Amino acid sequence: STEESDPWWKAFSGVCRDMKLQIKLEIFPAATDSRYIRAVRHPAIGFSPMNRTPVLLHDHNEFLNEQVFLRGIDIYAHLLSALASVPPLPAEA
Amino acid sequence: SEDPSVTLFREYLKIDTVHPKPDYDAAVRFLERVGTDLGLASQKVEVCQGRVVLVLTWQGTNPRLRSILLNSHTDVVPVFEEHWTYPPFEAVKDSQGNIYARGAQDMKCVSIQYLEAIRRLKAEGKSFSRTIHLTFVPDEEVGGHKGMEMFVQRPEFRALNVGFALDEGLASPSDTFSVFYGEKSPWWIKVKCVGSPGHGSRFISNTAAEKLHKVINSFLTFRESEKQRLKSDSSLTLGDVTSLNLTMLEG
Repeated sequence: STEESDPWWKAFSGVCRDMKLQIKLEIFPAATDSRYIRAVRHPAIGFSPMNRTPVLLHDHNEFLNEQVFLRGIDIYAHLLSALASVPPLPAEA
Repeated sequence: SEDPSVTLFREYLKIDTVHPKPDYDAAVRFLERVGTDLGLASQKVEVCQGRVVLVLTWQGTNPRLRSILLNSHTDVVPVFEEHWTYPPFEAVKDSQGNIYARGAQDMKCVSIQYLEAIRRLKAEGKSFSRTIHLTFVPDEEVGGHKGMEMFVQRPEFRALNVGFALDEGLASPSDTFSVFYGEKSPWWIKVKCVGSPGHGSRFISNTAAEKLHKVINSFLTFRESEKQRLKSDSSLTLGDVTSLNLTMLEG
């Protein structure tokens, strides 16, 4: 879910807002392992923190810039802090 | 001097997990070593012969809560090495800091970023209520049938008590980051056309070729209309339309 009322999405999007990351919501144009995770009813978001990077998956000369890579670590550190601190959900109380 | 996170990333990129014979053992050994150094618990689940899912765990302070799952796959797709500027499994970094390797985007970067983010949080003395699990799975690039598809049916997966999962996205050439909240469904269609035989000099009626002609036309008309729909509306992305490709013709 990408509703603000969803606690996971609230945590994810809150980090993006705090870090001033512009995000674009999309449907993944191919298939990946998320489909199996979602099929057993767990919410999942597909995210690789690579902006300013040409789309070169499966292509020749696939590369990633080290600064983009390092910023991604910073982004995940914030995302993990927020997601792993989501307060107990009603079902968990 | 290079940031140690980058060095670790390049080390992982040099492990040859390319299809059709990925060196999964080397990848699991490497990732398990990194995880153990970080003080993470490690578990290996062989979902089928030769296909091991590695689970690394950072226990939360309230293990009853649902966990965060950080998933990534260890395999990469093949290369046509003659078209590469640098060898695809040497992880060469050029003067601009671009690291060239098969898997640099899809998706060894993400695996190492998860681990390095945890390294940083642990170094800062942080702890969180929810448990974080990292799963490293084989076989995604060939459909996940001997990887995640089997793993989600295992008791070891249910025991992870997942609340929310992250998995791969895609690069974005602009300033914005792409965030994927769903995915398209692959649908492989095989159409079989049968028709009447007869001498090749005649106008045989009811032929397979005529039927195939109709099928191909209707596929390609649909394909063109979806292609135009994507082109004509800049708010649409590839995930919003149905792509169709005719890949094999036999007979």
